[in-house]
Amino acid sequence: MLRMHNLSKVYRTHMIETHALRGFEINVEQGEFVTVTGPSGSGKTSFLNIAGLLEEFTDGEYILDGVNVKGMDDNARSRLRNEKLGFIFQGFNLIPDLSLFDNVDVPLRYRGFNRAERKERIEDALAKVGLASRMKHYPAELSGGQQQRVAIARALAGSPRLLLADEPTGNLDTQMARGVMELLEEINAQGTTILMVTHDPELAERTRRNVHIIDGQVSDLVQHGASLARAPYPASA
Amino acid sequence: MFDYYFKLGLRSLRRNRALTALMILTLAVGVAASVSTVTILHAMSGDPLPHKSDRMFVPVIDILPVQGYVPGEKPGFAQSQMSYIDARNFMSSNVGVRRTVMYGVAGQVEPARKDLGSFFAQGMAPTRDFFAMFDAPFLYGQPWREEDDASGADVIVLSRALAEKLVGTSNPVGQRVMVLGRPYLVTGVLATWDVVPRPHHIIGSKGAFGAEDEFFIPFASAIRHETEHDGGMSCNGDNNVPGYQGMLKSGCTWLQFWFEMASSGDRAQLQQYLDAYAGEQRKLGRMPRNAPNRLYDLNEWMSFLQVVDNDNKLAAWLAFGFLLLCLVNTVGLLLAKFSVRATEVGIRRALGATRRDIFRQFLIETAVIGLAGGVLGLLLAFAALAVVSQQSAELGTVAHMDIPMLLLTFAMSVTAALLAGLLPTWRACQVTPAIQLKSQ
Repeated sequence: MLRMHNLSKVYRTHMIETHALRGFEINVEQGEFVTVTGPSGSGKTSFLNIAGLLEEFTDGEYILDGVNVKGMDDNARSRLRNEKLGFIFQGFNLIPDLSLFDNVDVPLRYRGFNRAERKERIEDALAKVGLASRMKHYPAELSGGQQQRVAIARALAGSPRLLLADEPTGNLDTQMARGVMELLEEINAQGTTILMVTHDPELAERTRRNVHIIDGQVSDLVQHGASLARAPYPASA
Repeated sequence: MFDYYFKLGLRSLRRNRALTALMILTLAVGVAASVSTVTILHAMSGDPLPHKSDRMFVPVIDILPVQGYVPGEKPGFAQSQMSYIDARNFMSSNVGVRRTVMYGVAGQVEPARKDLGSFFAQGMAPTRDFFAMFDAPFLYGQPWREEDDASGADVIVLSRALAEKLVGTSNPVGQRVMVLGRPYLVTGVLATWDVVPRPHHIIGSKGAFGAEDEFFIPFASAIRHETEHDGGMSCNGDNNVPGYQGMLKSGCTWLQFWFEMASSGDRAQLQQYLDAYAGEQRKLGRMPRNAPNRLYDLNEWMSFLQVVDNDNKLAAWLAFGFLLLCLVNTVGLLLAKFSVRATEVGIRRALGATRRDIFRQFLIETAVIGLAGGVLGLLLAFAALAVVSQQSAELGTVAHMDIPMLLLTFAMSVTAALLAGLLPTWRACQVTPAIQLKSQ
């Protein structure tokens, strides 16, 4: 589903170069639920942004669902992002002056679906997250947990191949976080691949696979809740 | 997607309401100022006879003495009118499909109705062809006959306003009315004739934007009765013979003359005639300056006589300068409005919007603001024109909105908004989604 090989990301200013990712290697299979952990500044966000085609990488190779994304122009990247990816953010990132229905509608509009198909998908997605009855409400009228559910509905509405979640429970209390996590597990159980950045070790332990990033490299691999390899992941820099 | 973006644009009007209102007002004021001045300019410089203006010609010949002549100089007021001698010669030339000579007349009208006292009225003394040449619309009757021109008969065509004043709404054709101290037989009544500018009055006491003429009598009748002219005259000291007959024989210029040719291509033929005429006159000792003989078609004539003077043009430029100032302000306001939308741009980009999608969305949003500005601008322009038209009767004839100007208001407002929106929209497209999404 997602494969990065010897990938690097360098941020350059006039004075300094910062290597956010170097010799980065990862391979996520279809249907996996992978958590990404690591300390602040380790490169988690850069990895997620590159995986989500929101940023370009400096060097290396990135294959997303069989498509080599290197050198793609803005239009092609946007189209690929729209068709294959779904995003869930820590801050929910709903558009405040659109109703829940219209928020979920946004990616479908760019996809070019007709009115009937959009309506069906929006209603299905909101029903899936338990908010079918509130589709005319606005984000400010919902709790944080409900807003995150709307964001999940928006991410799911286009039937993405890969769901990218950046600290999706970071702004929620424990009970709401548990609810959102259970929803993500349910979605994964239905076949959607999920890549989730988190600081929460408990959440990381719940997933089948955890990737730990330090200094821009994958340094740890935990699978099935047990540590399979504590040694640094071989980086072919 | 256009309807989607348009709805988003409408919805966006409710966001940052104070900022949005300020933008719409700024655009509206700028557009209203420009449209008001352009409307007046448009009415003043419009072609009053678009289907034939290129084959309607005013001849300009220079019969002044050599003294004071500067070769190449533009003809002045004296040359822009014609002497009776030349007008009479041109009338008998048979050049063109129609010809007319005219001058302004004015005097008392004595109504038959006892309840009305006598009153002053202004009119014209042209020849019969005048009515067809200038497309004068008849409500009742018709122009006088050619024989009336030849004999100088006392016949008259009334304006609708004068006819209604004299006989109410009934048809006065065949009745006699007392004008200029003598009875005239009414042959026709014109319908309301609101052509602007009035091509036959570009020179004249009423001017191109003055009120309608109240009556028309045959040129020959006016001359026969030695009716004084109501307008300017230039004599250059050569009116040696006193009295009206002396004026007719002099080189004083006080008449307007128009040729109507079959096509604009006949201009060369008319020019040849004019040059040949001048040559003959020089043999008779007239036209000593040997200045170029000129022809002006209707639009050239309006331009030559500066129907739209420099003050009007300056006012229009100032109004456009003001609109530019409003545009710059709108750019700033749009930058402020769009800068708080960076997160939305980031979200939309993450969800699949291309930069082009964002560009379209924001540009259509500015177009919606432009439309709103257009509606308000139109109301302000109507108000401004109403105020302007109260200033004088002349302004009243030109300060009114027509369909092209109405459409121009919207086009100008939307274009202004789009221009103002280009920079803010471009900047919105440059938003880096990753940074915006993480910053939330």
